[in-house]
Amino acid sequence: MIQVRNLTKHFGPNIAVDNLSFEVEPGRVTGFLGPNGAGKTTTLRMILGLVRPEKGTATVDGVSYQRLRAPMREVGAVLDAKAYQPGRKARDHLLALAQASRIPLKRVDEVLGFVGLSDVADRRAGNFSLGMAQRLGIAGALLGDPPVLIFDEPVNGLDPEGIVWIRTLMQGLAAQGRTVFVSSHLMSEMALTASHVIVIGRGHMIADSEVEDLIKRSSGIVVRLRTPKAEVVVPRLQTAGGKVETDSDGAIVVTGLEAAAIGDIAFQAGVPVHELSPVEASLEEVFMELTRDDVEFHGTGAGVVQ
Amino acid sequence: MTQVPTQIIAKSGFPEVAPPNLVDTMRSEWTKLKTLRSTPVTLAIAAVLVIGLSALASFLIAANESSELQHHGSLPTPLQTIQGGWSVGLLAFMVLGVLAVSNEYSSTLIGVTLLATPKRSRLLLAKVIVFSVSMFVIAEVMSFINFFVGHAIISAYPAFPNVSLTSHLVLRVVIGMGIYVTLVGLLGLGTAALMRNTAGSIVACVAFLFILPGILSALPNSWSNPIGEYWPTEAGRRLITLDHGPNTLSAWWGTADLALFILVLLLIADYALAKRDA
Repeated sequence: MIQVRNLTKHFGPNIAVDNLSFEVEPGRVTGFLGPNGAGKTTTLRMILGLVRPEKGTATVDGVSYQRLRAPMREVGAVLDAKAYQPGRKARDHLLALAQASRIPLKRVDEVLGFVGLSDVADRRAGNFSLGMAQRLGIAGALLGDPPVLIFDEPVNGLDPEGIVWIRTLMQGLAAQGRTVFVSSHLMSEMALTASHVIVIGRGHMIADSEVEDLIKRSSGIVVRLRTPKAEVVVPRLQTAGGKVETDSDGAIVVTGLEAAAIGDIAFQAGVPVHELSPVEASLEEVFMELTRDDVEFHGTGAGVVQ
Repeated sequence: MTQVPTQIIAKSGFPEVAPPNLVDTMRSEWTKLKTLRSTPVTLAIAAVLVIGLSALASFLIAANESSELQHHGSLPTPLQTIQGGWSVGLLAFMVLGVLAVSNEYSSTLIGVTLLATPKRSRLLLAKVIVFSVSMFVIAEVMSFINFFVGHAIISAYPAFPNVSLTSHLVLRVVIGMGIYVTLVGLLGLGTAALMRNTAGSIVACVAFLFILPGILSALPNSWSNPIGEYWPTEAGRRLITLDHGPNTLSAWWGTADLALFILVLLLIADYALAKRDA
């Protein structure tokens, strides 16, 4: 389990991580979401002892990373896919890591085989594609068979096959009872991979919840209504407390009233109903809504700059 | 290849072993040093240049000297002639010391290295030990080969004075060369641990090693003499030269001066490594 308590870090005058507290439980994939610049990588680097917190603590099973006795056997992490010397062979890269962590050397070939890099183990890692680099990073993280795994933006730049591979891997690792913590700025990816998400923006906590709860909580009740007599039913819906907007395709979008209540109102008004459907906001929309105020840079408009 | 086995890692098959210690970090650093492509390439080029240039110098000076049989006070001694190629070697070992650390930063490997060995002082110590021992062995081998090649060439010109290993202090100078270039390599390593940047570290070391002593010698003697005497890389040269001017440190005190300077540099680098974000 990863525990973060009141973690705070500034870079110059800018706050990167602002009094952040959360726990990452074992046995499930936990997504770590936020727009670019939200402080995800800094938080992960503080958990891994690479960046020193100004305030607060980050521990793995109660111990700070720098005090772990055999760190790579307790935590595996991939922060930067291409974090290797390009002139070094993939096998030598892993060999050095295994030696530093006193991991049996036969394990190097095991993890190479597992990530599918056996055939290129003796090639210089500098020639690797991004997908192969990610696999090499993951091989390094799995060397020590650690119960806790941390991945920073693992699917960035990968092709669909690579994305599916990593998604399946993370879910498989979680199913084995490991703690899996994955950062991403892509809500849609986390919707498919994670069962729990921690959302941050500008360094502070926005949401820490189950993916399903997050959707329910944020979307409120949104119902689409299609009727030829909108002018009759809309004032009645507003009287009943609903907010009404018209969609681009002519449908009425009602917020704040249950579908059943809307149906009853239409029936009492004698208005024919062609469509009445509750809308579930996508995780993407929820994310946009949650982080709207916390995006670092806003565009000024959709116009094309000449 | 894209299948994820249900049993990703056999937990039971993984033996409980003691946590890693300094020796494990040293093993890892040794693997890294020898599998870094620049290490063997730089060493091979250095060996060829040092021994080749020394041989060329020995041939040109000895041949010229024996044909003209003219002795000028400014001509190099036989030992200086034989060691002629080592200024290039000095540069090579300095660059190797810089690269041993800076390549981790330029490739962002340092993040992974510190995940495996979060105890940063242990990491720096392992790097220092592995680098000094391996470079010392290689530099000594190079120094002896260099001496014997030069010695053999000069022997072909009986008119030119020669030296042998049994001559007064010659053995010390030949062994001392290995010690001196290893220390210069450590100077590069310490500088890179502090600066974390290849180009900057090399410029700083070249300035310290070659340019600043030259500027110092242009100062008035009352300034340049004491500074020049204790300037670490100049003081360290006492070990590899036979001519002691008046007023200079002994060979071993000069070496101690350089070693002490490097120790302080490494302690500062160690402190900076612990304090800074990686």
